[in-house]
Amino acid sequence: MGRPQRQTRQTPRPQGTNRREFFKRSGSAAMVLAAGPALPIGQALAATHTGKLFQHGVASGDPLADRVILWTRVSSPRNAAITVIYTVATDPALTQVVLRGTTKTNPSRDFTVKVDAGHLKPNTTYYYRFDAEGSSSPIGRTKTLPVGATRHLRMAVASCANHAHGYFNAYRHIAERADLDLVMHLGDYLYEYGNGQYGNVRPTEPATEIFTLSDYRQRHAQYKRDADLQEAHRQHPWVIIWDDHETANDAYKDGAQNHTEGAEGTWQGRRAAALQAYYEWMPVRPVDTSDLTRNHRAFQYGDLVDLVMLEERLSGRSQQLQATIPVPGLGNLFTQTGSFADPTRTLLGTTQEAWLAQRLRGSATRWRFLGQGVMFAQLKGVAAANAAGGGLFLNSDQWDGYQPARNRVYDILKGANGLPAVNNVVVLTGDIHSSWAADLSQDPNNPTVAAGGYNPLTGEGSRAVEFVGTSITSPGIADPQGSTAAFLRGVNPHFKHIDLNQRGYMLIDAKPNRVVAEWWYVDTVASISHVQAFGTALEVQDGSNRLAPSAQTTPRATAPALAP
Amino acid sequence: MQTLSFVRPAAIATALAFIGLHAQAANFNFEGDIAYNTDVVKVAFTLNADSSPVRLWTDSWTDGLNFDPTLTLWIKEGAGYSLVAANDDDNTIDPTQGFYDAGLSLATLTAGQYLVTLGAAPNEANGTQLSQGFALDGSTPTLISQWNQPSHDINANDQKGTFWRLNLSGVDTAATVPEPAAAALLLAGLSAMLLSRRRQ
Repeated sequence: MGRPQRQTRQTPRPQGTNRREFFKRSGSAAMVLAAGPALPIGQALAATHTGKLFQHGVASGDPLADRVILWTRVSSPRNAAITVIYTVATDPALTQVVLRGTTKTNPSRDFTVKVDAGHLKPNTTYYYRFDAEGSSSPIGRTKTLPVGATRHLRMAVASCANHAHGYFNAYRHIAERADLDLVMHLGDYLYEYGNGQYGNVRPTEPATEIFTLSDYRQRHAQYKRDADLQEAHRQHPWVIIWDDHETANDAYKDGAQNHTEGAEGTWQGRRAAALQAYYEWMPVRPVDTSDLTRNHRAFQYGDLVDLVMLEERLSGRSQQLQATIPVPGLGNLFTQTGSFADPTRTLLGTTQEAWLAQRLRGSATRWRFLGQGVMFAQLKGVAAANAAGGGLFLNSDQWDGYQPARNRVYDILKGANGLPAVNNVVVLTGDIHSSWAADLSQDPNNPTVAAGGYNPLTGEGSRAVEFVGTSITSPGIADPQGSTAAFLRGVNPHFKHIDLNQRGYMLIDAKPNRVVAEWWYVDTVASISHVQAFGTALEVQDGSNRLAPSAQTTPRATAPALAP
Repeated sequence: MQTLSFVRPAAIATALAFIGLHAQAANFNFEGDIAYNTDVVKVAFTLNADSSPVRLWTDSWTDGLNFDPTLTLWIKEGAGYSLVAANDDDNTIDPTQGFYDAGLSLATLTAGQYLVTLGAAPNEANGTQLSQGFALDGSTPTLISQWNQPSHDINANDQKGTFWRLNLSGVDTAATVPEPAAAALLLAGLSAMLLSRRRQ
């Protein structure tokens, strides 16, 4: 285990209606108190490979069997079109060239470059480079998806990387794992706050909260200059979804908790600015160029895994409801009554819900991964079976705040209305800056499995499993003794692992007979450090739909060389 | 090479009016639509005097509404045309241009007969002689509306529009050149008419 992060041992005092506010406040205060002398900023910003024109590195993403998005940005002082050449090869020295082409960029797209490099072979590692105006980019490395019989997928899962809260040491460790097939990022890739508003380790660019297109572009540019993030992008293809902070905290379709209509512009305008900058700066393939909020998409990893990526903020989400029941020590909680039971409220929107049902029922792969933003499992502060009222829930921003919508997803899993059940679903989640593993049950506090309940000893009654990765840097709750985690596990018996303390990433190792999730933790985010430690591992076996103990997996014996 | 081009009649009329009225250097503009990525539009112009300043530019890109054009200037030498200059992107020729519009500003062209070719980037000339053709010659023509032009913006799925406009400043006469296919059709039509008259 990595050593506990340097944080004060203050008692968590949840306030407001959602738990992320609570995480945010406690973490922020902790950082103020714990902030020692940070290393010079320049040291962290100095990328290993920084061509004059390519200060923001290279990236690849949304791989398919025959194509992958390649990305870079040209730092040009000219107010004119720039022609950019791209080269794709099968060797790190770029001598075995398989694709060469030209594209262009210009100031109206902030000089970002995005190519959908096609005619590639499946399950193949490629190396690529951009050239413009006599300058060369760093060499990137990427990989296409396999087709047909596939025995193994190994990927890192990251989320919640607040630049202001510290150094992206976890990204560096991800970069160095040469045997990964891809990196999945579940959102909160960047944060919208101004200097000192959420994290004090590194200053923000711009110094203020971001609202305009120029603001969002500057923030993306700052993140992309981070050496560790650059390296993680450079070595692996990423499959990325956004959560809320890519626009504003607790975003929903028509607004956000951290958006004041009028004083901070219109929500529509701010969202459009955030999305334009997002698509400019991220290696993602737009799903619908006429509606950039639509971002749900899927990637079939041979016959092994269907990677189903959900959009849970901007395209359909109903506004979060307020929790109003005060519970000493826990803040305001809520029950599944009143508006919380309103079936018209949605997290995915009608279109995406229908697409999800079709995708889950139609996929012929062994496993189905749902890459998504907010915790799917129930999380209560006060336990009770559904028949006894269901207890009190903690966070109305996650699926708990959208119970009827979640029940519709359970209907897909269980096979309602005469349709067959969908098995081997693994939910992968970010958002809450901490590590969790859950059996997924609609009535986890009811021990009678025959009555729709859940047996915490055997896992019977579980319909699927969820792995929640911790954050790259964003703070969790200071829980050095594990007492908060123990309390939560007591109330929520379907959780088999909770760690609120540590930062890092998840490693997912999928084979036909099981999917293992490993949690890897860094020793600190307060300074540049190169220490990581294995935390724990849990797995789900083929056909079981429930968690089981596991062990650290073995890295592949051979892996394609990292990009030089 | 797909060579059909469709020049808007109004533009031809405007140009012809200029030709009729002006003996000295004047401004012309031509516009139309191409259908395929392999299409190349040809506009001929003449210069009566040496050292004439000439400007040529497109202004049809319109932030990606239409395809990204490229221009090549040729001078008639003997039976053929030789390369003078080429440009893919220069938006400094006229304030109406966008980033991917093409343009040439030539301070001292000699008197002679010239040809401007306009295609979809990167369908550049293969060599210094027009007879050598263009980069996309021989490839399967793709409709501009269905083509992901290499410079297009993936995030906007743009540059699917077929409209082009070419402006010429400082030339003496100018006219679009019917492509061989179009000319052949015209000839075929005339022949048919003549034949039918003879049979009457």
